[in-house]
Amino acid sequence: MNQEAEWEPKLLGFLCKWCSYAGADLAGTSRKKYPPNIRIIKVPCSGRVDPLFILKALRMGFDGVLVSGCHPGECHYQTGNYRARRRVAITKRFLEYLGIEPERIQASWVSASEGGKFAEVVTEVTQGLKEVGPNRVFSERRLNGAKTKAGSTSTARAKQG
Amino acid sequence: MEQKLRQEARALLEQNKVDWIIGFEPGSLKFTTTPLITRDKADTERLVINPFIFNNLADFLTETKGRVGIVAKGCDSRSIVSLIQDNKVVREDVVILGVPCPGLIDLAKVEGLTAKDRDELDEITRQGDKVVVKVGGQKKEFASNQVLFDHCLACELPTPQEYDILLGEPIPPAPNIEASGKNIDALKKLTPAERWQSWQDELSRCIRCYACRNVCPACFCQRCFVEESEPQWIAPMPRWQDNLIFQITRNIHVAGRCTDCGECERACPVNIPLRSLTREMYDIVGELFKFKSGMDKEALPLMTHYEQEEAEDFFR
Repeated sequence: MNQEAEWEPKLLGFLCKWCSYAGADLAGTSRKKYPPNIRIIKVPCSGRVDPLFILKALRMGFDGVLVSGCHPGECHYQTGNYRARRRVAITKRFLEYLGIEPERIQASWVSASEGGKFAEVVTEVTQGLKEVGPNRVFSERRLNGAKTKAGSTSTARAKQG
Repeated sequence: MEQKLRQEARALLEQNKVDWIIGFEPGSLKFTTTPLITRDKADTERLVINPFIFNNLADFLTETKGRVGIVAKGCDSRSIVSLIQDNKVVREDVVILGVPCPGLIDLAKVEGLTAKDRDELDEITRQGDKVVVKVGGQKKEFASNQVLFDHCLACELPTPQEYDILLGEPIPPAPNIEASGKNIDALKKLTPAERWQSWQDELSRCIRCYACRNVCPACFCQRCFVEESEPQWIAPMPRWQDNLIFQITRNIHVAGRCTDCGECERACPVNIPLRSLTREMYDIVGELFKFKSGMDKEALPLMTHYEQEEAEDFFR
């Protein structure tokens, strides 16, 4: 039980260099508070994010992945975020069908001036992940002991370590 | 139909309109066929058309150089169109010998219904809407939707849309989505964790032979991500986690190219129900982007294209 109280979700953020990363920077310089659960990888464009990155992150044990880029129509490379949107959309839907909690795959549009929004997004996503519990999708016997409420019973799953 | 195919194939080679003919010849086992790839016009006498022409021959198009005459069922023609969309194949270099296909017979289903091994069956013939199986002197009749492959039940294009020579009368499409999607519907009734568990169980059997990838005409990468070593995306050892990542990524890669031809599932030596993955991706793409793969050769490939407003609902 202690383990659960101590557990904090690990969130991996793929932020585009031109908007969201600058937005995160702004959140910092303007001293917005947001959870320290996010680890950030700077990508040249949200279109750089291969669905494989998302899977690899989940495989490595991240509890959630956030893909963030410029608002539609504002991509530095004109169309990168539109392409990212298609990719993330099918990835999210497909993983949901396979049985991964949809809360684990998140996406947002954050512009360079939206430091406040970035802080909000990270807070919300982290809160969502806390409710879903630790990522056990790629561990053995995820179902074991999770009979009460399959898929989201963090207590039962935390015991497995 | 077979005679006409042989004549046309021979004529194409004789008139030097094509360098290669890709079709089917009888396989070494009962009720099987094997791809025939030839430049010899005498070989065209071996070409066959029957309810066991399983392979999606479009797979060989990207590997053969020169002009090719290819036998194509409805689903194969969609794969060819999809390759044309991706600029992997030039339309003018392909002569499509279209075969109207009323569906392929799944031997596993026949075995299940007759409780006999396929070697013990004497004859399987199609008579109109029925399939007649002769076994031990007895005749057994089955409705065709009992013995056709699941993906054939959902077939939207029995007659090729894109062809140069059509070898028979067109067959109107009559997709029976409900009958073909039983496995997927059953999966969707489970909780997410149970669903994941079922995939974990299925994929634990995977031996990573890559048959699914190799028979797939949409899987045409020169170098597959699974063979990358820097970075190594997944371990080469067949563990279920990595097997599952391989299948998920394969499905994402062929989204908008997969025509639900069901070849991956048929080729799987350990009977993983791969079509329950591919069909779901096919439906997702249809629902989110109103995209049907391999229908329109002028259409842009799904992932190179976008609309201003679409699939926006989950973005924060």
